[in-house]
Amino acid sequence: MHHRLSKVLLALPPAAYLVVFFAVPSLLMLLASFRYPGEYGGLAPWYYIDDGQLSLDLTTENWLRLVESTIYLGLLLKSLGFALLTTLICALMAYPLALTIARSPKRHRDLLLLLVILPFWSNFLVRIYAWMIIFSPQGALSEGLNAVTGLLGLEPVNLMFSSTAVIVCLVYVHLPFMILPLYANLEKHDPALLDAAQDLGANARQRFWKITWPLSLPGIYAGGVLVFIPSLGIFAIPDLLGGTNGIMIGNVIKQQFVEARDWPFGSVLSLVLTAITLMLVAIAGRFGRPKGTANG
Amino acid sequence: MKKFLCCVVLGLSQTVLADKALNLFNWNDYIADETVARFESECGCKVVQDYFSATEEMMAKLLAGNGDYDIVIPTQNAVEALVKQGFLTPLDKSKLSNIGNMAAGFMNKSYDPGNTYSLPYAFTTTLIGYNETKMAELGLEPGDWSIIFDPKVLSKIKGKVTVMDDSEELFAAALKYLGYSANDSDEKHLKEAQAVILKAKPYWAAFNSSSYIKELTVGNIWVAHGYSSDMFQARSDAAEAGRSFTVNFVIPKQGAVLALDNMVIPRKARSPELAHQFINFMMRPENAAELSNIVGTGNPNAAAKPFIEEEILAISAIFPSEQQLNSLETLDARNAKSRRVMSRLWTELKVK
Repeated sequence: MHHRLSKVLLALPPAAYLVVFFAVPSLLMLLASFRYPGEYGGLAPWYYIDDGQLSLDLTTENWLRLVESTIYLGLLLKSLGFALLTTLICALMAYPLALTIARSPKRHRDLLLLLVILPFWSNFLVRIYAWMIIFSPQGALSEGLNAVTGLLGLEPVNLMFSSTAVIVCLVYVHLPFMILPLYANLEKHDPALLDAAQDLGANARQRFWKITWPLSLPGIYAGGVLVFIPSLGIFAIPDLLGGTNGIMIGNVIKQQFVEARDWPFGSVLSLVLTAITLMLVAIAGRFGRPKGTANG
Repeated sequence: MKKFLCCVVLGLSQTVLADKALNLFNWNDYIADETVARFESECGCKVVQDYFSATEEMMAKLLAGNGDYDIVIPTQNAVEALVKQGFLTPLDKSKLSNIGNMAAGFMNKSYDPGNTYSLPYAFTTTLIGYNETKMAELGLEPGDWSIIFDPKVLSKIKGKVTVMDDSEELFAAALKYLGYSANDSDEKHLKEAQAVILKAKPYWAAFNSSSYIKELTVGNIWVAHGYSSDMFQARSDAAEAGRSFTVNFVIPKQGAVLALDNMVIPRKARSPELAHQFINFMMRPENAAELSNIVGTGNPNAAAKPFIEEEILAISAIFPSEQQLNSLETLDARNAKSRRVMSRLWTELKVK
């Protein structure tokens, strides 16, 4: 009993934190999504009193707006595509690196990890502005690339203000979030398992696919969630690097709260995004569970 | 956004260095460093600036509760909205001895009768900035909105054009191109404007309100839709950097948006006393003149005229002629319904 009590006490603060900073705002947004926008931003009153009679002033219009044209759902799909692609590229790039670090001599590992997190030492926006310079038509990258396409007789490519630029930056910014959980997972693998497999005649490929890969799924899952969720909602990168149709769902949400001063519709879009995220994370969670620990 | 970082740094150093501070919420690049330095030495205080690049951005920040700036520089339609929200404090005219310097034509406007809450600061137009050398090479005439809207013209400068990432400004430009008022709220006309934008969009590089000065200056972009003061800066930056081309700007012949920016004091200002001192300081002719000489704005201060350099007075995109003034319009505040229509059209055209 005593043991259980201390467990509850330990779990209480983080649980309370989540309730306060996730559930309460979501609930507030749910209420806001049925109200009218205020004339100068904010929300219009949700009830008024007329002759002592209380009348509610609520509407489902904001939710209907979501489905009355396909633009919002289409944009949501596009954003999901961008976020999935980012997660996939991150996973492909991070896996070999994390594996290399995990299998390198212990004394090198700290240094290698430090190099992975080094970019965090400069501000996010500064790094994005640096990419803007790299991508610009006068940049060495564009000029080099176009020298090659010119030789091949192809049209010059434009990197700045393009979806390619957005994806490259999304990957760049989120890559460490994939590497770190993957490394934490791979580093814990018991080398004896690989030795045993080798003794039993498994070749390198078999050892990877039968042992390392299944054991690393929780790491991929953790990293995937850390990359997928922030890239789905991001607006700064498409704002700065996207072209004329480079926006993602995050930009439209921001636009509702800032430019359109339409908090109710912004709330609708945020809630939909949150719901989809939770659903996808739950589905991916089934995949990320290591085999044989079903309800772990 | 880079500016934001500077603000944070300035903000930190300010708390260490001086206890008195004027918190100024201003447009990007909208006051000369020299002017700030002079005010600081006069008042024995620090000026801490925070920046915005669009009216809606400023409104959203203020209305979300960050209202304790001492001075804000909103455009005329935002002044009206802020007054209606009860957000501003009335000005104490007894502390504003330089008020007589202001040009009568810019005073006592319908958005703030009697200038109870606001005094004019500077004005700009939203126009076309262009790479003069490239335009001459290509034989293009930038003094017409067709330069950003007509596909025939745009086909020569594909991918070298940016337009403002601001629904109000871009729709106003398209409406003007079609011969309507910039304030037209007829949904049919707005849809026509949307169609014009959609046809032109494939030729544009980006919607951009934050870095077009830089893009023009380094030559990445040849035509940009933006504020006259920004284009003025791009022009001098390109000249200073010794580029092989020159940047210039022009008010399109169909007319454009005129923005009259004002000084106001929020009700929650931390030092209203200092704020009044700043307003009075900015109305002094030599300080007001620096806005034109260094920042490149139009000037509502009549007494400042003798202090403004001849060559700047001669730029018609900064000081429009009588005839041009007739083609310029200030933007009105749109109501919630019109904003909603606009927002839908805007999202549609951004996605398509």
